[in-house]
Amino acid sequence: MSFRVRCVSKSGLALLFCCTAAVLVADEIPGKKIPYVTAAPMPVTTVQRGKPTPVELHFRVASGYHVNSNTPSLEYLIATALKLDAPTDIVVGKIKYPAGQMMSFPFAPDQKLSVYSGPFDLAVTVRPLASVLPGKYSLRGHLKYQACDNAACYPPRELPVEFEVKVTKAAGAGGGRRNPRQSPHVHM
Amino acid sequence: MKRDPVVVIVVAIVITFMLVYGVQRARHAHDSLNRENDITGKLAPDFSLQSLDGKTIRLSDFKGKAVLLNFWATWCEPCKIETPWFVQLQNQYGPSGLQVLGVDMDEDTSSKDIAKFAKEMGMNYPVVLVKEGVTESYGGLDYLPASFYIDRDGRVVDKVFGLKGRAEVESSVKKALASGQAVRAAR
Repeated sequence: MSFRVRCVSKSGLALLFCCTAAVLVADEIPGKKIPYVTAAPMPVTTVQRGKPTPVELHFRVASGYHVNSNTPSLEYLIATALKLDAPTDIVVGKIKYPAGQMMSFPFAPDQKLSVYSGPFDLAVTVRPLASVLPGKYSLRGHLKYQACDNAACYPPRELPVEFEVKVTKAAGAGGGRRNPRQSPHVHM
Repeated sequence: MKRDPVVVIVVAIVITFMLVYGVQRARHAHDSLNRENDITGKLAPDFSLQSLDGKTIRLSDFKGKAVLLNFWATWCEPCKIETPWFVQLQNQYGPSGLQVLGVDMDEDTSSKDIAKFAKEMGMNYPVVLVKEGVTESYGGLDYLPASFYIDRDGRVVDKVFGLKGRAEVESSVKKALASGQAVRAAR
């Protein structure tokens, strides 16, 4: 084995050791707050003016936890629900939630609850009005959820959600239209 | 630029040492904080809260009784498993001096709905609505259910976080009933 290869492997081993140690100790940091639900980075979706377009949002429930679905199986459970504030000229239509998985848990083995666990996706229909100026627009909101594990439940939380849409002119639009009188609140 | 492998190894070891040292310090600080927040053996913080039927209830109203103070919420499924146990324990140990007291932690649910829920669950003990500062005085509650077992002198003798078995709950009730000066004096 050449000296160079040995150097590289030694350095690599040292760095690997360092990274492993960092991961191990980070995992044991006491009192760290676990985000029960996280959102995947959301790419910019291109939407045409006047055309309803679904935007997929991806979330993940942390391992060992579950959240109620959008249609919980029991009356008092808190539904997972997305609320969005859109710019005035962009209409947010129906939000499509996945069906919950019917699961039972050690605290109530005879009862099945409608929950999300692991990854789950929502689809938001976005329709920019014909008057919107082409460009990027930001939509913000929050995902309300309430998580539990096998023995305890955590207070309801709100996860901030933000994604961008790129509004383009409708296909075949002649471009003869002038700027709208009313412009959206958020224009990036 | 050529890296000296010895330097890389030394840097890696130093970084690892710093990380481990930092975590140890954090853990020590956290343990100290936990000890500070642990109210077991201390007098249970008194509070004055509104019950579902509009009365003002103080924890100190139950001095001389063993109190099972249970923090719960309508959205907490494991809490619903415990509730029938508490109902039974109140019936069984009430004559011996047990008082179960529920503290509801709902924020967005109306007291009318909470009362409806309590009725559906057959709660035969008072339920009060939480107010800011109460959970903090009990060491902060990150999750539910959470129960504190308070002896006849008002001292916390046990606490249980999360759902445990009925036997454990009953054992803690017995512990609370058997503790306190009033009990010792009677012996």
